[in-house]
Amino acid sequence: MKHFMKRIVGPSLVAAALFSVPAMAGPDDDTLRAAMSEEILNLDYNYTTKREYIILAQMTDTTLFDLDPVTQEYRPAVATGYTFVDETTLDITLRDDVTFHDGSVLSAEDVAYTYNWIIGDDSKSNASGTIGRWLEHAEVTAPDTVRFHLKSIYPLVLRDMAQRVMLRKAGTYDAGGTINRDAMAQKLIGTGPYKVVRFEPGQELVLERFEDFFGDKPAIKTIVVRNLPDTGTQQAELMNGSIDWMFKVPLDLAESLGATPLATHLSGPDLRVAFVVLDAAGNTDPKGPLTKVKVRQAINHALNKAEMAKFLIGGSAEPIHTACHPAQFGCDQSVRDYPYDPAKAKALLAEAGYPEGFDLELWAYRDKPVAEAVSADLTAIGINVNLRYVKLESLNQARAAHDIPAYIGTWGSGGTADTAAIARIHFSMETDRNLSGDEALAADVLAAEQTNDQEERAADYTKALGTIAEQAYWAPLFTYSANYLVSPHLDFPLDPDGLPRLQNSSWK
Amino acid sequence: MLKYILLRGLLALAVAFTVSLAAFFLLNIATDPAQAIAGENATEEVVQTIRDRYGLDQPIPVRYARWLGGVLQGDFGESYYWHKPVAELVAERAGVTITLALAALAVTIAISIPLGALAALNPNTWIDRMALGVAVSAQAVPNFWLGLIMIILLGVMLPILPISGDDSWRHFILPAFVLGASSVPAVMRLTRTGLIEVMGADYIRTARSKGFRGIGLLRRHALRNALLPVISVLAVQLGQKFGGSVITESIFAINGLGRLALESILGADIPTVQMLIFVFAIVFVAMNLLADILNAALDPRIRIA
Repeated sequence: MKHFMKRIVGPSLVAAALFSVPAMAGPDDDTLRAAMSEEILNLDYNYTTKREYIILAQMTDTTLFDLDPVTQEYRPAVATGYTFVDETTLDITLRDDVTFHDGSVLSAEDVAYTYNWIIGDDSKSNASGTIGRWLEHAEVTAPDTVRFHLKSIYPLVLRDMAQRVMLRKAGTYDAGGTINRDAMAQKLIGTGPYKVVRFEPGQELVLERFEDFFGDKPAIKTIVVRNLPDTGTQQAELMNGSIDWMFKVPLDLAESLGATPLATHLSGPDLRVAFVVLDAAGNTDPKGPLTKVKVRQAINHALNKAEMAKFLIGGSAEPIHTACHPAQFGCDQSVRDYPYDPAKAKALLAEAGYPEGFDLELWAYRDKPVAEAVSADLTAIGINVNLRYVKLESLNQARAAHDIPAYIGTWGSGGTADTAAIARIHFSMETDRNLSGDEALAADVLAAEQTNDQEERAADYTKALGTIAEQAYWAPLFTYSANYLVSPHLDFPLDPDGLPRLQNSSWK
Repeated sequence: MLKYILLRGLLALAVAFTVSLAAFFLLNIATDPAQAIAGENATEEVVQTIRDRYGLDQPIPVRYARWLGGVLQGDFGESYYWHKPVAELVAERAGVTITLALAALAVTIAISIPLGALAALNPNTWIDRMALGVAVSAQAVPNFWLGLIMIILLGVMLPILPISGDDSWRHFILPAFVLGASSVPAVMRLTRTGLIEVMGADYIRTARSKGFRGIGLLRRHALRNALLPVISVLAVQLGQKFGGSVITESIFAINGLGRLALESILGADIPTVQMLIFVFAIVFVAMNLLADILNAALDPRIRIA
């Protein structure tokens, strides 16, 4: 045994230690190493949707406008300004110093091409639906001006220009008449503050500061994004100094590791909200209990959303009583609230003709503890809940078939701080998410998107949100909290809209 | 023998197609692939765009028939998720998984056969009990737990080995150990039992009378016969490691077929899942076939029978 230890184990450990040179992250090599669980496969945000891709696109691409995350105002980016010629004609003027990562200068033709490509039949871009809803076509009217012809009045035009369309060189996707929708998927040529140096889909993305970027240059020279599917592995890599940043961290892990000197726990707001949607329209049962407003109000009173926010989500999560996030434009906080009051809930049930309660099938697809807490609160007032916890895709299929009487939904609004980003998708008559069946409400929601007057829009949303609250179509629950674990050397600023902006990081 | 191999080969194909048929229908019934690809925050317009793009609005039998038609012409389709031909994707990743599976098998052999032999040569002693204890413990420990413990010990507390990725041979040490350890109990116990049985045989007594002792006796006379059943078990274990590396590859962020399978299932990437199931089924049946052939080659009694 002694011989074995001396000749085999000892030298093996020494050799392993000698050859061990882990890629250390941090200020020494001015490289921020970030971990993401979600696979990074396609760098072109015009063809992707997920949050990870928004985070990356903010670094590699630019848009005509930028969102100020604090004031929620749209400020010029590649555009220098805009003028409405009339309500459906918009002129955008452009900077002349915007350079692509390959050194070519961005022109008005590039901008017009990008938008016209997105709405074209061959594009099949993930942005086509959103942009095609309002854009007729774009045309170059001067070397630095592009004119956008809108199909109708659309107040969120600047929002879409700021968040959805990444600018591409003319001919990017159909050079020589050959369509290649994946042209920018792996070898991205953008105009953002970072350029792609190396990309191995599903493994690693290396970004380097683009020195010719027209805006404020980032403080950190290199950002490496690694795909690490397991949170435990990310945690271990953070502890041994191989990564500097991880997000979507479970609260308990963030708190326990953040309490050590190895990592800092940051908790910021998130535009995602949770809510219970009730089948007021009676899709599942035309004369069922949920068609009665007092029953829906009773459900609202029964839910202890403050404790759910505090103990189940934690961080900066807060209870809400509106069908939107309080940080969103138009999310009027003066609408009716239903404080936690189980006795009142029981009384309302009795008034509605259900003193002994009733059976309710409640669907949910994420945050099981929350689903169980909602079930327990409803059970406490006599509603016999059958909780159906399923995959999101299954819930979507059942909802499309009108088989769901109530479900716990969440919505992140794609990081858009405007009530439009949550209202239309849940309350217009063209979506299966709308279980209210209220056509007047749908008209109010759509009215807010048919004017460019912000005051008028706010008033429309006040009216719509007031109806939702009075009729208790939803039982709003809480806002989410975004938990991060970062290296103690990293200064990572958090923005109120909950979107991580790695490009704003610096070393302490 | 050739007829036997051909028949088993056809059986492997039939199994693979049957499994893929079941998987295709289950995947499509359980999820909406377009929604899974689009993600949680996608609007209906985006989901519809994806549905149109990949023909996901067609009935399930039509889509399966289309897939099957492609496969019969050697075309496994294009991945919805990775945007490249599935065959290319699987070929790219297979090397990593084969390396990991072989390394894990080497770990299994390196630990279990010496341990089994040690236990067999010292039956009912503390050495035997210790070896059995190791086997029982290894069987009781889940893969993911052992992986995390190894990461904490050798990646964080004593940072001498990389804990994620597959850039060098060093990246394979921990995952190969974790994956290999799971097969140690079965192989070790089989080695022990086989050796104890063989050591009591007449020809061993004869060998002892000629003066053979210890390692020499074991190597020249006992192991050859005792390891016959072990070889067939190892072949099956290799098949299991090939298809069963999902958790290990995810924990250690290894870009092999196991991780590809997990991502494809989560992303409802049906063409990729289909091909992986097909490949895993064929590998598994092929490994079983290999075990049978090896046994027949090593033991003439099987051929005669």
